[in-house]
Amino acid sequence: MKAEFLTVGDSAVSIQLGSEISLEINRLVRMLYKDIETNPIDGVVEMVPTYASLMVHYRAETIEYKKLISIIEERINDMNQDVEEKHIVKEIPICYGKDLGPDLELCASIEGISEDEIIRKHSEHIYYAYMLGFAPGHAYMSRFEEPFSFKRRESPRIKIAAGSIVAMESLSNFIPFEQPCGWNILGGTPLKVCDYKREDPFIVHAGEYVKFTPVSIKDYERIRELDLNDRYIINTFEKAVD
Amino acid sequence: MGIYFRESGILTTIQDAGRFGYQQFGVSPAGPMDTKAFNLANILVGNKRSEGALEITFLGPTIVVEEDNIFAVTGGELSPTLNDENIPMYTAILAKAGDEIKFGMAGANGCRAYLSFAGGLDVPEVMGSKATLLRNKLGGLDGRAIKKEDRIGFVNPKSELQNMESRHLPIDIYPIKETVLRVITGPQDGNFSKEELRNFFWYGAEITNEFDRMGCRLERVEPLKHSFNNGNIMTDGIAFGSIQVPSNGQPIIMLADRQSTGGYAKIGNVISVDLPKLAQSKPGYKVRFVSVSIELAQQLYNRQLKEINDYDNKLNSEE
Repeated sequence: MKAEFLTVGDSAVSIQLGSEISLEINRLVRMLYKDIETNPIDGVVEMVPTYASLMVHYRAETIEYKKLISIIEERINDMNQDVEEKHIVKEIPICYGKDLGPDLELCASIEGISEDEIIRKHSEHIYYAYMLGFAPGHAYMSRFEEPFSFKRRESPRIKIAAGSIVAMESLSNFIPFEQPCGWNILGGTPLKVCDYKREDPFIVHAGEYVKFTPVSIKDYERIRELDLNDRYIINTFEKAVD
Repeated sequence: MGIYFRESGILTTIQDAGRFGYQQFGVSPAGPMDTKAFNLANILVGNKRSEGALEITFLGPTIVVEEDNIFAVTGGELSPTLNDENIPMYTAILAKAGDEIKFGMAGANGCRAYLSFAGGLDVPEVMGSKATLLRNKLGGLDGRAIKKEDRIGFVNPKSELQNMESRHLPIDIYPIKETVLRVITGPQDGNFSKEELRNFFWYGAEITNEFDRMGCRLERVEPLKHSFNNGNIMTDGIAFGSIQVPSNGQPIIMLADRQSTGGYAKIGNVISVDLPKLAQSKPGYKVRFVSVSIELAQQLYNRQLKEINDYDNKLNSEE
């Protein structure tokens, strides 16, 4: 594994493990993250995995820069790259179209296919959450088959609702809190994407997979009610190794 | 019983050391803008350094103390008074029930004050922290700034502390008009030509009005030119003090409420010991950057930490 150490001030270092967005490189990031999480390094405060790099925040009073990077270098050299993380897939219910997905019709017409076909392409494949960022619980996700051709909307919306599921090309994200957004909205999830009061506030973590499950508006309302009372359990399964 | 806000001030928030461990989920750490002044405020009243205190910005609140407790004010000078009498900063003072602590406008020395109370503030922790993150309505008082008529309880108020007569510390003097910030270049200094890097250090910039807890937007006469992709990079991590240069070439220094990740090239990072100077600077000030090594930055950081530890030991170690 080739690693480049980039200094980020006197309290962080960014360990760059590649220069492209790919599952392969992101898995290296996950591996290094897991390694340090499992065997903590004294002085490391927290780690932030992104597409191709791992940011390590540390305290210089406990460990100075040179010492830290020599330990991490050693970890990288000794790392067993054959160990695979379990591939957790979480099934996230989504109600497509109508008020919850106002752009479904537009997207179907851009693609030149039916709305049902958009829904099939969007919900049949599994998405990988490369990283979380931008807002609490905001996952950057991508699927690997049948990308759409539509990109961002010509003019962004000033506000879109929490729970909106937006898409462009092979990417799709759920929106944790009301925010401005330039992506097309295909539907909405009845689940709270981020809830500070829950023991685990975030429905998806980096390195996990997501499968969207189409539900009717009736089921959307039913699941929403359950989730509001913290009684909805997300269906989770382990993905077969690819 | 605790404190009651007769006036809220422009922007008063509850901050503790910050919310750590959640940046990987997209949650900013928040915490104080001026970490040193915040730490000293807690040390002065015998608290652990990370205890929740009030961060007061530009124009301060009027607070009624409803139960005897010891408090201290540090950081920017906002003319604090107790029952209309001027009070010294960086000094532990006993307020009696019914007393009024009042702040005015920021004067020449700084613009962010820290008000600590012995025993801490009774605010629930969210994800392990009392720090307010306004952007995501998280922590503090319902994730928002203090409003008029708010009340915050004390946890363990004290009417006496050991060494009460010697509980004062030297005042910090902040820059006026021009702030020199020492910078470690990187992580994306390679996205700029040698000439642009030299320009970054050679020519200063001005602090604009867009200066909040999230970041400080600067204006350069000549915007910086990116060598690649108009400044866009593959999204990576951001630290306290990271200097992001978006496509328009005008740098933004990322501060306490920064996003945990970002997609613009970062030319450098302000060193930890200089962040308080920036936090206490005002729009209109000039900023100049000086390049230093990480070794020097960490030496300076450790030296400052030792100074703070020495104060803590002097005031708070048991005889």
